[in-house]
Amino acid sequence: MTQSSETMDGPATTPQDTRRAQRLSSTSVAVIAIYGLVVAMILLSRAVSPAFGGLSQVETIFYLAAFLVFCAFGQGLVILVRGLDLSIASLITLGGVLSTALMAGSNDGLFYILPAILLACALIGVVSGIGVTFFAIPPFIMTMAVGIIVYSLCLGFTQGTPRGFPSPLLRDLMQARLLAIPAPIWLLLAFVAVGTVLQGYSAFGRKLNAVGNNPEAAYVAGLSARTLTISAYAVSAACAGLTGILLAAYANGATLRMGDDYLLPSIAAVVVGGSSILGGRGSFLGTVGGALLLTTLATILSALGIGQGWKTILEGLVILVALIVLREQVFDALQAGLRGLKKG
Amino acid sequence: MGLRRTAWRRKWGVSLAALLGTALLAGGMQPAEAKTKDGKWRIYLSLSYSGNSWQSEAANIVKALAKTPPFDKTVELTEVISGTDPQAQISDYESMIANGADGIVSFPISSTALNRTVHRGCQQGTLFFMYDATVTEPCAYNISYITSGFGENSAQALVNALGGKGKIFLSRGVPGNSVDERHTSGAMHVFKQYPGIEIAAEYYSYWDDRTTQQETAKALAAHPDVDGIWAQAGEFGAIQALMQANPDRLVPVTGENSNGFRLALANPDYQAKGLAGVSAGSPPAQSGFAFKLMMEILEGKREPLAEGERNIQYPLPWVPADKVQLCKGDTFEDGCNTFPEGKVPSSFVTEVFNPELLPELSLASALDGKPTADATIQPLPADAVEKAPDAPGINCRQCEAPEDIYSLTKVEPTVKP
Repeated sequence: MTQSSETMDGPATTPQDTRRAQRLSSTSVAVIAIYGLVVAMILLSRAVSPAFGGLSQVETIFYLAAFLVFCAFGQGLVILVRGLDLSIASLITLGGVLSTALMAGSNDGLFYILPAILLACALIGVVSGIGVTFFAIPPFIMTMAVGIIVYSLCLGFTQGTPRGFPSPLLRDLMQARLLAIPAPIWLLLAFVAVGTVLQGYSAFGRKLNAVGNNPEAAYVAGLSARTLTISAYAVSAACAGLTGILLAAYANGATLRMGDDYLLPSIAAVVVGGSSILGGRGSFLGTVGGALLLTTLATILSALGIGQGWKTILEGLVILVALIVLREQVFDALQAGLRGLKKG
Repeated sequence: MGLRRTAWRRKWGVSLAALLGTALLAGGMQPAEAKTKDGKWRIYLSLSYSGNSWQSEAANIVKALAKTPPFDKTVELTEVISGTDPQAQISDYESMIANGADGIVSFPISSTALNRTVHRGCQQGTLFFMYDATVTEPCAYNISYITSGFGENSAQALVNALGGKGKIFLSRGVPGNSVDERHTSGAMHVFKQYPGIEIAAEYYSYWDDRTTQQETAKALAAHPDVDGIWAQAGEFGAIQALMQANPDRLVPVTGENSNGFRLALANPDYQAKGLAGVSAGSPPAQSGFAFKLMMEILEGKREPLAEGERNIQYPLPWVPADKVQLCKGDTFEDGCNTFPEGKVPSSFVTEVFNPELLPELSLASALDGKPTADATIQPLPADAVEKAPDAPGINCRQCEAPEDIYSLTKVEPTVKP
């Protein structure tokens, strides 16, 4: 990430070069800190339950976090270009409903139906993107409207009861183990690898960063801010569709409310992961850390024998503390302190 | 406001209440007349929200019945979805009453917030029939299984399956909901009698399969050695989570009526791995019973019940593993109660039919709201109405629960506490 941004911003903002590099490195420190926090929480959770702190807990966390990571990647891209995607919940539902209805419990046509569903979702994302860029509709209004329409289409299409079954192949995939590790975790690792390259190291990702940082400057530099923004919404919608397909395979069926639990957590994962909610800064690895943090927290809270109200209060508090502690100023101060120590 | 009204009532005492009661009773006894121009009954179907299988099936049953002869010629049915906010349902009720509704079949969002509007509607001659959930306003009819003891009976079945001791999870419904609280207090009444039963985790699953699956997966991470799960609706998710965590070890699970759960209960492979349990709980068929009963009263074929006598209990479905029977066709025939794999989604709630009360229905009715070919509306059996016991805050105000409120009706304890 660090190198890429230097080449990207080099010509436009020469005097800021060093400051920017420094800021980015503090972002990566923040990312490392999140993973440190996750590991610490897992180790500490042994106090909550003796079964915790082991591999099976880590496995459950990765497994459950996978769905959040899939949709948070798209959310992260949209936030990167100064947007917000509130249609994620409905598109998860759409992905689930379409995949169970079209696959109808068989593997026939899996390899063209799945891409077709992802494409359909991406096209809906394009609609959101067009509304945001060409008609200058505020992102959260535009995506909320698209989300309501998509949800209503699902409701009308299913008459309230989503039909069909996931493809057996996908269902088995969600249950399968490869080298003693659940297949979805391999899927998660592959997704994280691709996503990290796409957002942090590819030309596409660098351009999105540029547009999010300063749309006018990006335009002057010859980037089509509109096309890039629209494609971020398209990727987000396709990721939500993928989440829905996999969730339906995991739960052996779709429900109309299956996406609701992912909308706000997807935004929280991105922000906890060190991205700026205002756009222009963020890394996918941070988002993955954010998703792992939220899931770890939920797993531990679930094992605490306390009332639902207290659980929710604790959840909110820990997220708040994480946000405060993981702020870059804190790391800048730490770094300055360390430097001072070295010099001294 | 509420307090003031109570005080006012007390002050004026019995005489006014009696007077009011007589007036209402007289109003109710007159054969009502249809209010639409073409002579059809103007009926509203008021839902909380559409979006889970249960709600949709319950609504589809009413829609299918309204299209079944002779109702297709005599009933004008309008569906209104109010969401999850009682305020929205209040204003929807108000518009229905203003539009001259003859009857409102409804899943009420709150057991108390709607009372004033319902009371006003009753005075204007609108019949209110609540299904599944209830209101405490005495002029409304409540058709519900809530008082039939799902919580305590399923809890006892779980205790029996565990031999009276073990670590269990409670997978509950929606926090703060009176139905969830009634079920859970019934279950806790049983669990508390057995010191060997340890509640290792308790979580809210919002009556949803996928939420149940994820919440159970989280709880299993902390307690992989769980011995049993007591679940409300969403139970199929609990089985999926168990399979996920350890495909070789299942444990007894009690839950509600999803088709996937019943198939799992009857699966010999799963039984060999330790699955046992019972499928009980909320039947969507309540809505159809409520609608037919309302129409019989509206058409003068059945006497209206006196206020305070309008809580009607719907029998609790009770299907242990050995009673699961696959249906060959699209209805519950020959005592079958479950559909074969692949015919309906796993989350489909099987208890949509009732051969005695609702012989008009088939699978297409529950899934798409379509009437069954050649079916006509059959009269309800004369003894269809069973009075429900009082449940304070659920179906009555200022009343007391019977002492034996948690007495077991479906299962005997096989282990001593």
